[in-house]
Amino acid sequence: MSKRTFAEPTKPIALGLGVIILIGLPLLITSNYYLHLLIVAGMNAVLAMTFVLMLRTGLVSMSIAAFWGVGAYTATLLTMKWGASFWLALPLAAIVAAILALAIGALLVRNAAFSFLILTAVLALLTVFVFGNLKWLGGFIGIDRIPPPDPILLPFLPPIPFDSKPAFYYLMLFLLGLAVIFYRALYNSWAGRAWMAIGLNPRLAESFGVNVFRYRLLSFVIAAGTAGMMGGFYAHYIGAINPYAFNIFKTINVHIFAIMGGVQFPLLGPLLGSFVMTLVPELLRVAKEIEPIILGLWYILLMLFLPNGLLSLLQRAGKRSD
Amino acid sequence: MLTLILQLLLDGMASGLVYVILAAGLVLILSVPRIFLIAYGQFYMIGAYVVWGATVLLELPYLVSLLLATLITALLSMTSYWLIFRHIHAGEKNFLAMIVAAMGLMLILGQAGLLAFGTSSRGMPAIFTGVLSGADLSISVEKVVIMSASVAVTIVLFLLYEKTKIGRAMRAVACNPEAASLQGIDVTALYLVTMGVSGALAGFAGGMIAPAYGINPEMGNHVILTVLLVVMLGGMNSLVGAVVGGIIFGITLSLGQYFVPDLAQIILFTAIGVIILIRPAGLLGSGVSVDV
Repeated sequence: MSKRTFAEPTKPIALGLGVIILIGLPLLITSNYYLHLLIVAGMNAVLAMTFVLMLRTGLVSMSIAAFWGVGAYTATLLTMKWGASFWLALPLAAIVAAILALAIGALLVRNAAFSFLILTAVLALLTVFVFGNLKWLGGFIGIDRIPPPDPILLPFLPPIPFDSKPAFYYLMLFLLGLAVIFYRALYNSWAGRAWMAIGLNPRLAESFGVNVFRYRLLSFVIAAGTAGMMGGFYAHYIGAINPYAFNIFKTINVHIFAIMGGVQFPLLGPLLGSFVMTLVPELLRVAKEIEPIILGLWYILLMLFLPNGLLSLLQRAGKRSD
Repeated sequence: MLTLILQLLLDGMASGLVYVILAAGLVLILSVPRIFLIAYGQFYMIGAYVVWGATVLLELPYLVSLLLATLITALLSMTSYWLIFRHIHAGEKNFLAMIVAAMGLMLILGQAGLLAFGTSSRGMPAIFTGVLSGADLSISVEKVVIMSASVAVTIVLFLLYEKTKIGRAMRAVACNPEAASLQGIDVTALYLVTMGVSGALAGFAGGMIAPAYGINPEMGNHVILTVLLVVMLGGMNSLVGAVVGGIIFGITLSLGQYFVPDLAQIILFTAIGVIILIRPAGLLGSGVSVDV
């Protein structure tokens, strides 16, 4: 069996079919509620991809939601206080989060993997209190009535307003596609190979001339930038933010999405995991108040019997047929 | 001014000592079975609710309820190890799987607590009333009881850990599980005992603060974040670190919230971050290395 460690095996037909289904979904699903779930799932998928990106280099970050929040607050301030366009605020949110990650990461990434985890956990706790204690960020109540993105004006076409779920769905799909293409390119580049080498054995990688610190920092910064961009999207989609949305439990949930799908698949795993984990609780809504209990059991059972995620089932099937 | 500071120190000690118990319990879990048990706060919540239920609904005496809470959380903790973490332990590089399973346990226990005890906050009649005062300082009898009980429990825990045979076994396993098992220590049984002791500590802490501070279903989720910080500050594998960390945390927060209410938490958390950056093992820890 040829071993493909990075990108999922490319099957153009399956890929094309998947894209067509994703684009066509709003035609099939007219319920705003289910579209909302899909939008949230897509956003979570991108966050989960940033987790796998860092995990590839041996870093477990507990501050994904913190950088997501930095992006959300940056974009909100830009559009509400300074009247910037959403389309300017979104990339700026990513850039601010990335610059912040560069400064903080330069300090944190040097540490061994477990210390990094602890330091990012402290960072995550700190971030919530920074958001909550700054009066001009709305305190613990947060900011509401964030305007939706400005309509897209294209020549010769009617403006595309953001007043319906399908519009946001396609915006999410665009950002998700952007992230997938960007990450795929990264994984197949020199940087991706360096990351993989570091993930397998940092010391060995270093001895081959890979600058472990620099490549780890690169993954931290890219992950933060991506999370920041999704934060800008989140703020303008939901229309309200508060510090608790960005706490450490959100990060752990993001971890769970990726692990559930399978972290050995850096793009497909997070995608599958977050769609499953967003939709399954909905199916469990019939169970009403015992829903969290079933969800908790599902986490535990999956970790007991399928610790490598849902996609490892496919892998197993593949191995058997070889 | 001096009396004010002394008063704030006293108040800080009272809350800090409760963190000490919880942090010590978490340190045991982190260093002996090495589980990143994010669900630990739920044992504290359950302890508080059991005491509330036993005293208010069943009208049992307070001390009996507290004992009951301690026993129930110890059993819960041991059961969760036996049913869940024992199996995940076997694999390698299982840190992430443990976090996910612990998160699942947290959801289950949190929701079970909600279903059993309701969503509203509960108050319960004070057990100890009255205020001690002297030399311009005053402190409620309740807090004095909490403080002395915390100190007593911490001392007992230290005696257990440092002086008894089982404590020595715990230290050996914390140091190197394989070598310890070669010396004839039943590692699984020891993990069970450790989980039981830790669960009991959390239940005791919850039951102890229930009459003084009130109870709500979210208290477990809130306290675990504080306790994690205390443990990181003191050192993940140091009981003395848990004591030092808890007291520093309580006092700093009490002083800070009086003088700079808006910035107290930001300053404290940043300081903890800087300390961990300089000393990744925490103030008194000796650096656990967990494969992540």
